[in-house]
Amino acid sequence: MADPIRLLIVDDNEDILSTFSEFFNSMGYNVKTAVDGFVALKLLREKAHDFDCLITDLVMPNISGVGLISIVKKEYPDLKIIAMTGYGDQPGALASEARADVVLFKPVDLFKIEEKIIALLDVSNLKKHE
Amino acid sequence: MTTPLIGVSKSLLKIKELINHVANTCLNVLITGETGVGKEVVAQNLYEESPRTEHNFVKINCAALPETLLESELYGYEKGAFTGAHKKRPGKFQSAHKGVLFLDEIGDMPLSLQSKMLHVLQSGEFSPLGSDQDFKTDVWVIAATNHDLEKRIKQKQFREDLFYRLNIIKIDIPPLRERTEDIPLLVEYYFKLYKSEYPNNPGSKPDEDTMVRLCNYPWPGNVRQLQNCIKKQMVINSWDKVFDEMPAEDSHAIVPDISAHDSVKKGETRNLHPDFANDRISLISEFVDLSTSSEKLLQEISLKKIKKKASDRVEKEVITFVLEKVGWNRSRAAKILKVSYKTLLYKMSEFDINPPSK
Repeated sequence: MADPIRLLIVDDNEDILSTFSEFFNSMGYNVKTAVDGFVALKLLREKAHDFDCLITDLVMPNISGVGLISIVKKEYPDLKIIAMTGYGDQPGALASEARADVVLFKPVDLFKIEEKIIALLDVSNLKKHE
Repeated sequence: MTTPLIGVSKSLLKIKELINHVANTCLNVLITGETGVGKEVVAQNLYEESPRTEHNFVKINCAALPETLLESELYGYEKGAFTGAHKKRPGKFQSAHKGVLFLDEIGDMPLSLQSKMLHVLQSGEFSPLGSDQDFKTDVWVIAATNHDLEKRIKQKQFREDLFYRLNIIKIDIPPLRERTEDIPLLVEYYFKLYKSEYPNNPGSKPDEDTMVRLCNYPWPGNVRQLQNCIKKQMVINSWDKVFDEMPAEDSHAIVPDISAHDSVKKGETRNLHPDFANDRISLISEFVDLSTSSEKLLQEISLKKIKKKASDRVEKEVITFVLEKVGWNRSRAAKILKVSYKTLLYKMSEFDINPPSK
C-alpha cells in the first residue's frame, strides 16, 4: 500500500475548509488545513510536516494565496500548487504569474481537484514505494 | 534608528511575527490602519529585518503632493522635460533601487498615476519624464493607507488590479483603543525617550490612577496622539491639564471609522460623520466621473453642467413616477405636473421615457 498523498489546504472560509477536508480524508488522503497563508507558511516552515500538494485560496488576510505561492515556489519548489479563487480574473492571473501549477475558479468541483492532484503528482510515480 | 514596535497585545505580537516571517521575501506589502497607529514604523521594521538594509529606505507621501509633482518625484525627469526642469533629476524609484520604496497614503494617489504605478510593478521598468529610455528597477514596494481600499474601489477611486498587486501581504494595525494593554509600555518607552532627549524637563510619570485613565481614553489619534500627550506632559508637568486639553473622551464615537473616509484626517470636516462624507462622494460621483485624473476632473466640474444633469435625473424620475400612477395617460400626467401636454411629450422623448412594453 502506498503512503497516502499529503495535502495542505488553505482557505479563510471554514465551511470550505471542512468540506474539502472531509472529502479528501474520505478519499484516503492525509489532510492538514490552515485558515490563511500565514498559518500555512508557519506549518510549512516547521518542517515537521511534509506535503505533496498545496491547495490554496487566493484572497485571504495576512499572507494572501498569491504571497504564499510565491514563497513556496522559492523555498519548496517541489511542492505542487493548486490555486482557487472566487474573486474574478485578477488574483487568478497573479497566481499564474507566481507560478501556481493549476489555477481554478470557484465554485470548483472536488472530483476535478482530485483529478488535477493525480495528474500533477503523477501518482504512478508515487506508487514506487509499493 | 528604527522605532521598535512596542506592545504585548495579541494583535501586535502577531504583527511582529508576521514581519519576521515575510521580511526576507520582499513581496509587496499593504499596511492598513487609522491615522497615527504606526504604519511607517511597521514599514521600517520590515526594512530592518530584510536583506535590503545596505540600500535605501525611501519614503514618499502620495497625498501630500499635487499629481504632476508626485509623478516627477516618483520617476524623476530629464533636463528640459517640462518648464523649470533645468537639470536631470533622479526619482524615488531610482533612489530606492535594491532598497525599499514606502508609498505612504497610497489610497490618495490619483487614478492616472495608479495606472503608471501598476505598469511599473508589473514590468519592473519605468522611464523618467521626458526620457525614452526604460530603466529596470528592483524596489521592494511597501504601501500604506488609512482608507478602506475596497470601498475606494467600489467608488472607482482606486484600481482593483493595483489593489491586488499591492495586497500580497496585508498587515492591518488595530487602533490603540482595541489594544489598551499596549498603552503602559508605550507610555514607559516614550517617557524614557523624551526624558533622555530633554533631561531638564520637569515631566513626571503617570501614577496608577492616571495610567487607568490613559488606558480608558479612546485615543482617536492613536499612538501619535499619545506621544504628543507625553511630550506635553513633560513640559507642563500636569497630567490633569493634559487630560483637560484632550478631545472629549467619547470623541471616537463621532469619528468611529477614520480609516474609511477621506476628510477627517485633513481636518476639513472634523465633526462630520463619515457616512455623510461617503454619501457626498457617492452623490457627486453620480454626476461627475471621479475616475479621471484630478487635472481633467477640475476642468470638467461645472456647476451649470452638474445642475442640468441632476435636475434632468430628478425630472425623469418624477415624470416616470406620475405616468405610472396615472396608467401612462399623458394628458392627466401633464395636468398633475402642471406643464403643457407638448412640454410633457418633449421631456418624455428627451429623457427617453417609454411606457412598459406589453
